[in-house]
Amino acid sequence: MSLSHYIALSLILCGIGLFGMLTRRNLLGIMLSVEVILNGANINFAAFAHFKAADPVAGAIFPIFVMAVSACEIAVALAIILSMYRHRKRLDVYRLEKLNG
Amino acid sequence: MTLLLPDILLVVLAALVMGYDLYKGNNSDSSLPFHLSWVGLCGIFVLLFCLPYDQTVLYLGGYQVSGTTILFKQVFILSTLFAVLLSRPYFTPGGSQRGVLKYQGEFLFILLLCTFGMFTVVSARDLLTLFIGMELSTIPLYILSGFYKNDDLSVEASTKYIIMGSASTGLLLFGYSFLYGAAGSLTFEAVAQVCMANPQEPLLKLGMLFILAAIGFKLTLFPFHMWAPDVYDGSPNPVTAFISVSSKAVAIAFLLSLIYGPLAAMHNFLEPIFLVLAAITMTVGNLGALKQTRLRRFMAYSSIAQAGYIAMALLGDAGTARSAIIFYLFVYAAGNYSIFFILSIIGRNGRENRSELQGLGKSNPMLAAILMLSAFSLAGIPPLAGFMGKFFLFAAAAEKGYYFMVFFAALNSTISLYYYLLLVKEAYIVQPANEPAPLVIDGMQRVSLLVLTAIMLVAGIWPSFSNGVLAVAG
Repeated sequence: MSLSHYIALSLILCGIGLFGMLTRRNLLGIMLSVEVILNGANINFAAFAHFKAADPVAGAIFPIFVMAVSACEIAVALAIILSMYRHRKRLDVYRLEKLNG
Repeated sequence: MTLLLPDILLVVLAALVMGYDLYKGNNSDSSLPFHLSWVGLCGIFVLLFCLPYDQTVLYLGGYQVSGTTILFKQVFILSTLFAVLLSRPYFTPGGSQRGVLKYQGEFLFILLLCTFGMFTVVSARDLLTLFIGMELSTIPLYILSGFYKNDDLSVEASTKYIIMGSASTGLLLFGYSFLYGAAGSLTFEAVAQVCMANPQEPLLKLGMLFILAAIGFKLTLFPFHMWAPDVYDGSPNPVTAFISVSSKAVAIAFLLSLIYGPLAAMHNFLEPIFLVLAAITMTVGNLGALKQTRLRRFMAYSSIAQAGYIAMALLGDAGTARSAIIFYLFVYAAGNYSIFFILSIIGRNGRENRSELQGLGKSNPMLAAILMLSAFSLAGIPPLAGFMGKFFLFAAAAEKGYYFMVFFAALNSTISLYYYLLLVKEAYIVQPANEPAPLVIDGMQRVSLLVLTAIMLVAGIWPSFSNGVLAVAG
């Protein structure tokens, strides 16, 4: 396994995540796709830290910060999705059409 | 340590506001958090004004304070101050037709912490600090845009915002990881060294493209601007104003600190990208604004167009671009906030549509005059500050020989004049069908509007203000 394998993996994960965001109709599915993108970036950091970096500690710590921050983001997202559900009784993104023009 | 004092005081202020709220129990009607916030913000602004601009100190954790960061912090504090003042009527019964907002303490706390995140972004000299600051300045906005918990539109705006925002966070992280991969370290110096040694490094280019895509969301650059009209339309009015000024300012501050800091050597590679993005963004924004009748949606498109003008200045050299952008942000903040204050006044008993402005020139000449001044300032009519601001932005691009781009932007400016004039026409010329109800303006709104108008006039006429900004950032 070389560095390029890991970068390929992370880019594939990024692609899967973006594809999921565009095709999923369920809000929770979209948030899951976002997590896939974030974890792809984490793999990138870890791989660069292992193979290449002059300062490997920084690259190893960064994913931990990313996890903490994405936990906050998901907490906020779930709260918003919950209040969305209370209004519409659906989590379908195609229902997000009241604001347009 | 004095240089860090404003940042520390801001966090202390946020803690005090939240602490008072927790101590008094939720949903108390006390106005103390509000008065504490605006007095504290005024104090921090004065402190920032008195700090020395010529020192550059790097603290632990890649936190640097310099003249430019102090200027940016002034923009952020000013914007937060007016957002706080703007929010007051929305928490009092009868303040807005959309209903009463609750949990004022939490609202102010989130707003203040968001501002601290913005402080961190401009001060960061390290990718990790930059990332944390960026998130701290973004996540609160998702919460704030959904603050009308019982309003369908507000919740929808917030949902759209968080979906778009988290996608952009993911792309931003990819960008950071490639920069880290190229440099092997997270500090700006290491990235700058690699960039100087080899500006053609593919990892750096890839990273910068990811970062541009991500920051395009926040700055509402062309392919990523779709969320802005919906979010601006659905959010509570003070939050819309805050997003349109502060969030845009932090995105441009982020770009400035990257492309004129560690990635300065690859500016040639980025110039054509900025050229295309800026040109398309201003056109899309201007054309979109032409047909809007709901005023907050209209302001969204107008601010997309302004983002295009601002991005155009990124073509120039470091000093001119930085000073032009900071000066323009002051001017843009003043113009935008005064329009949002007018929106909050007409939104007290009416819908925030353009037709609601009819007959304003007769029933309330002062308000109509201020509306005219701020619309002209945003459009860039000479005696007002907007003209000077746009002049500096255009000059930054012209300096590098992009005359065609400047010509194109001037053309766009003319289109924008048309729809800003529509506002003025509605206020002065169109006769209302039925007698409009008299507007209620409370003292705070009056004072804020006068201060904002004064900023617009003074910054345009009195040259030492712009000279001061140019001297510090240039």
